[in-house]
Amino acid sequence: MKLPDSDFDRLVRKLQWVWVGGAMLLIGGVVTWIVHLILTALWLEDVPSASIGIALVAIPIFLVFSGVVIYVFWNVTLRGEDR
Amino acid sequence: MADIRDAHEDILLAPIEKTGRGFYIGVAVLSVFILWGALAYAVQFFEGLGVTGLHQPVGWGFYVTNFVFFIGISHAGTLISAILRLSKAEWRRPITRMAEVITCMVLFIGAGQILVDLGRPDRMMNVLRYGRYQSPLLWDATSISAYLMASLTYLYLPMIPDIAILRDRLKKRKLFYSVLALGWKGTERQQRALNRAIAIMAVLVIPIAISVHSVVSFVFSMTLQPMWHSTIFGPYFVVGAIFSGIAALIVAMIVFRKIYGLHPYLKPIHFRYLGQLLLIMALLWFYFTFSEYLTGYYGAQPEEMKVFWAKFSGPFWPFFWAMVLCNFIIPLACLVRLGQRTVGKVLTASLAVIVGMWLERFIIIVPTLSYPRLPFPEGIYLPTWVEWGETAGSFGLFALFYLLFTKFFPIISIWEIREGREVGVKEVEERLMSYLPDEAEKRT
Repeated sequence: MKLPDSDFDRLVRKLQWVWVGGAMLLIGGVVTWIVHLILTALWLEDVPSASIGIALVAIPIFLVFSGVVIYVFWNVTLRGEDR
Repeated sequence: MADIRDAHEDILLAPIEKTGRGFYIGVAVLSVFILWGALAYAVQFFEGLGVTGLHQPVGWGFYVTNFVFFIGISHAGTLISAILRLSKAEWRRPITRMAEVITCMVLFIGAGQILVDLGRPDRMMNVLRYGRYQSPLLWDATSISAYLMASLTYLYLPMIPDIAILRDRLKKRKLFYSVLALGWKGTERQQRALNRAIAIMAVLVIPIAISVHSVVSFVFSMTLQPMWHSTIFGPYFVVGAIFSGIAALIVAMIVFRKIYGLHPYLKPIHFRYLGQLLLIMALLWFYFTFSEYLTGYYGAQPEEMKVFWAKFSGPFWPFFWAMVLCNFIIPLACLVRLGQRTVGKVLTASLAVIVGMWLERFIIIVPTLSYPRLPFPEGIYLPTWVEWGETAGSFGLFALFYLLFTKFFPIISIWEIREGREVGVKEVEERLMSYLPDEAEKRT
């Protein structure tokens, strides 16, 4: 992995980390929210089966999004010039 | 590949490099609509929902109609981009970006309608804190969140090589484009990773999009309200969504073709293919509408029939028959023969479908609420200037977002056009040959 040379490049790289970190934070926020709703349903004994059923479908989808974002960032930004 | 420039590429970069007077006039006109919407919302925020035409029993009016309509339009990106990309339809190349942008913009506008519909928007926090997954409304919130994230990712990924072109060619916004380009240089590894990520998202975004509009329909069909409690509402809504999405895409294509001179890229053949798709969707829409009303009529439940006749010949007849005219008769008349004046015919049909599909959403929501199953008094919904203002503001905001997007990014994918020229032509030839029987097989 080649490190950025100039100040401008270093700033760009930092902002790219912020950009991807923001995307991960957004996806993580939604997953956290869904988990919170499951825990609330369990705590209140308020038909938790519905919450768990929907969460079982929803959470993996969001995890795939985060996987795609990390994959692109790794292969395009961090390791893009390897070969 | 990255060094070869298309002869017409400057046309695509011109709106980003230069800003003409037309842009400012466009922004000014749209701002008037947005200000009208902002004023309407301010009045509603301070005075409460009493300033609107919403009342008992009609608690959902223009806002929920707009919500369903805008979420429906968002299917443009899925169908045109993802399905055509996966099926390797080469004519998609100048179209995909426009479709994907529509999806992202309207999802924000559509989801915003729910906030506008809340008399107490501060209570939105209660959904985050105490939301219950037994409610289809929360299924909506989850599926729309997933769709929005998928659509944003699916819009952004194919833009990376184009952003790199802007980074290298433009003198302005260097930092902005450098960050978003993610260090793209067009290496083999980068290209392979990007293509793989786009393919994953294309596969993922199709079922998510279909689920989104199915879930939107569940908000209605999970109730026992007359003419809402239907098992075909899911596919009916999905078909309507794709139908309106294609129409919105065609209108956007024709508008930007005209104002940015994109004629070399958006040719009559593109409008012919999209017109054929629109015709197929018009026939499918008619099939679902006919089935929906036929089964209701055959069942002849008194509560159902009250709503049924209110639509056919009662107070809602002008909207119902205008819907049939706009969604079926006009598209059929325009699209059956696309010999000459293709663009004009397709535009007429598309504008009609946009109006017709908005009316369809209205005609599904309001008549049922006007004649409820429970013994509430019946009522007719009359929107006030507040709802008209919100609706005008929402359309204005969508158009403004779209216009602003074209000032920052190319509205047609530059690298995909290059790829089409350099790789696509050969690939199509090879693929075509692979479909046909081998010469050796023929001789034996």
